[in-house]
Amino acid sequence: MTKRIPLIARDLKRLYTGFLIAAVLLFIVCSVLTNFNVMTLIANGDAFWEFITEDFLPPALPKADRIPGVLSSVLVTLALAMSATTVAAVFAFFVALFGSERVSPFPRLAKLVRGFATFLRNIPALVWAFILFSSLGIGTGVGFVALFITSFAFMVRAFVETMEDVSQDCVESLQAVGASFPQRVTQAILPSCLSGFLSWFLYCVEVNIRASTIVGMVGGGGVGLTLFSYIKSFQYDIALSIILLVAVMVIVVDRVTGKLRKEILK
Amino acid sequence: MEPILRFEHVAKEYPNGVHALRDVSFEVKEGEFISVIGPSGSGKSTLLRAINRLIPISGGRVILDGRSVSDQKGRNLRAVRREVGMIFQNYNLVYSLSVLQNVLHGRLGYMKGLRGIFGRYSENDKKEALALLSEMGLEDFCCNRASDLSGGQKQRVGIARAIMQKPKLLLCDEPIASLDPSSSKTIMDLLWSMTKRRGIACIVNLHQLDVALKYSTRIIGLSKGEIVFDGAPERLDDTMIEEIYGTSRENLMIGGTEDDKADTVNCA
Ligand SMILES: Nc1ncnc2c1ncn2[C@@H]1O[C@H](COP(=O)(O)OP(=O)(O)O)[C@@H](O)[C@H]1O
Ligand SMILES: [Mg+2]
Repeated sequence: MTKRIPLIARDLKRLYTGFLIAAVLLFIVCSVLTNFNVMTLIANGDAFWEFITEDFLPPALPKADRIPGVLSSVLVTLALAMSATTVAAVFAFFVALFGSERVSPFPRLAKLVRGFATFLRNIPALVWAFILFSSLGIGTGVGFVALFITSFAFMVRAFVETMEDVSQDCVESLQAVGASFPQRVTQAILPSCLSGFLSWFLYCVEVNIRASTIVGMVGGGGVGLTLFSYIKSFQYDIALSIILLVAVMVIVVDRVTGKLRKEILK
Repeated sequence: MEPILRFEHVAKEYPNGVHALRDVSFEVKEGEFISVIGPSGSGKSTLLRAINRLIPISGGRVILDGRSVSDQKGRNLRAVRREVGMIFQNYNLVYSLSVLQNVLHGRLGYMKGLRGIFGRYSENDKKEALALLSEMGLEDFCCNRASDLSGGQKQRVGIARAIMQKPKLLLCDEPIASLDPSSSKTIMDLLWSMTKRRGIACIVNLHQLDVALKYSTRIIGLSKGEIVFDGAPERLDDTMIEEIYGTSRENLMIGGTEDDKADTVNCA
C-alpha cells in the first residue's frame, strides 16, 4: 500500500476530527436533554407560517390617538440609551484612571478596579433590570440604572486599554517634568486618548440602543414596554410595525455613530 | 565644588530578579557632558531613570543637588524632578497637542492647582517658550500639532521642553537612536550648545561609539550593570572597548573598513 502524502500536520488533523465528533455528540446530548426534535419544527411549520402570515402580516398602525405615545416612547428609549451611556462614560473615565498599573498613582489597586469592572460587566443588563425593578419598581429609572451599570463596566475596561495603548510614553515624560497626577491626566492622558474614548463611547451608544429596547420590555419603559403591551394583548400586527420602527431607529443610529467613529479615528 | 549628582553604591534588582545595576558609584559636576555607553541590556536606561526616580532603586543612594532622591515623596519628589530635564528616544510628546503646548509642559512642575491642571501658563512662560522654539528653528511650527513634525523636529521639541524646566541636569536616553544621520548631528550639536551655554550638566545614553567619542567630556562604560570604564574619551582604547562591548572595535562598525569609519564619524 502506498502512503498518502498528508496535507496538514497529523496532530492538527486529529484535532479537527476530534472537534467535529465532539460537536455532533454535543448536539445529540443537548437534543435529548431538551426534548428538541427537528421533526417538530417541520411538523409544526404550518402553524408557525400561519402565525406569521395571519397574525403578524400585514403590519398595522396603532389607533391614531396612540401614535404620538408610541413615537414618544421611541424617543424615551433613545434618550435612555444616550443619557445612561453619557453618565457612565464620565464615571468610567475617572475609575479607569485607577485601573491601569502604568497610569494610576496607586498601581496596586489597579487589578482590583479591573476585576470589579469585569464582574459587573459579566452580568447582562437584562439581569440587572430584573434585580433592580424588584427594588425600584417598573419605570425608566430601572432601565437607566441597568444600562448605566453594564456600560460603565464595559467602558472602564475599554478606557483602561485605550490608555495603556496610547499614553504610556507621554505619561512618563510628564512624570519626569515633575507634573502631578491631575496634571498628567489633563495634559497627557486626556488629549491623547480623547478620540479613542469617544470611539468607544459611540460604540457603547450603539449597543445600548438595542439593549434599552430589551430592558424596556421587562419594565424599563420606553418603546420596549409599549411593544410588550401590544404583544401581551395579541395585537401582533401593531407589534410588527413597532418592531420595524425599532429596526429603523437602530439602523439610523448605527449609521450615524459609525460615520462619527470613522471621522474621529481619522 | 559640590557635585550636582552623586551615585553611592547604587543597585537595582527588578522584581523578576534581573540585576540591572550593581554597585554603581560616580559623581557629576557642573558643565560635564557625559556619555554612557554599553551594549543593549547593560542597564543604561535604568541608570538614567534611577536619577529622577522614574525607577526606584533597590540599594545605595542617589544624591541630587544635596538631596537623597529615594527619600523624596509627593511634592518634594516633583520638586526634585523638575530640576532634571529628560529627553527620550521616542520623543514622548503629547501628539494631539500643539508644539507650543508640548514645550510649555516643561513648566508644569512649577505650577500649582487649577492653573497647572488646565494649562493656564503665564505670558512670560509663553514668551520664553516661543523664544526657545525660534532658537531651535521651529518658530513656524509653534501652532502645529506635534504629530505633524518630522523625527528630528520632534526631538527638538523634546529638548525645548526639557530646557523650559530650567534644569541643572539633562538626561538623554538614546536621543538619536530613531533618527537619520543628519538629524542626529543637528540634535547632538543642539544638546551640546544648549547645555554649554546654560551651564547644564548632561548625561547621554548612546549606542553609537563614534558619537560618544566626538561629543563627550567624559565617558562611562557599562557592562552587565557595572561600571567598567569611567574617564576621558582619549583614554578609551581598544582593549577597554572590548571589555565594555565584549567584542572588538571592528565588529561594532557596520562595514568595518577605515574609510567607512571616517564617514560615520563625519555624518553621525
Ligand atoms: N521593567 C523591567 N522589568 C524587568 N526587567 C527589566 C525592566 N526594564 C529593564 N529590565 C532589564 O534590565 C536590564 C537593563 O535594561 P536597560 O536599563 O533597559 O538596558 P539598556 O538601556 O542598556 O539597554 C535588561 O536585562 C532588561 O531586560
Ligand atoms: Mg535603553
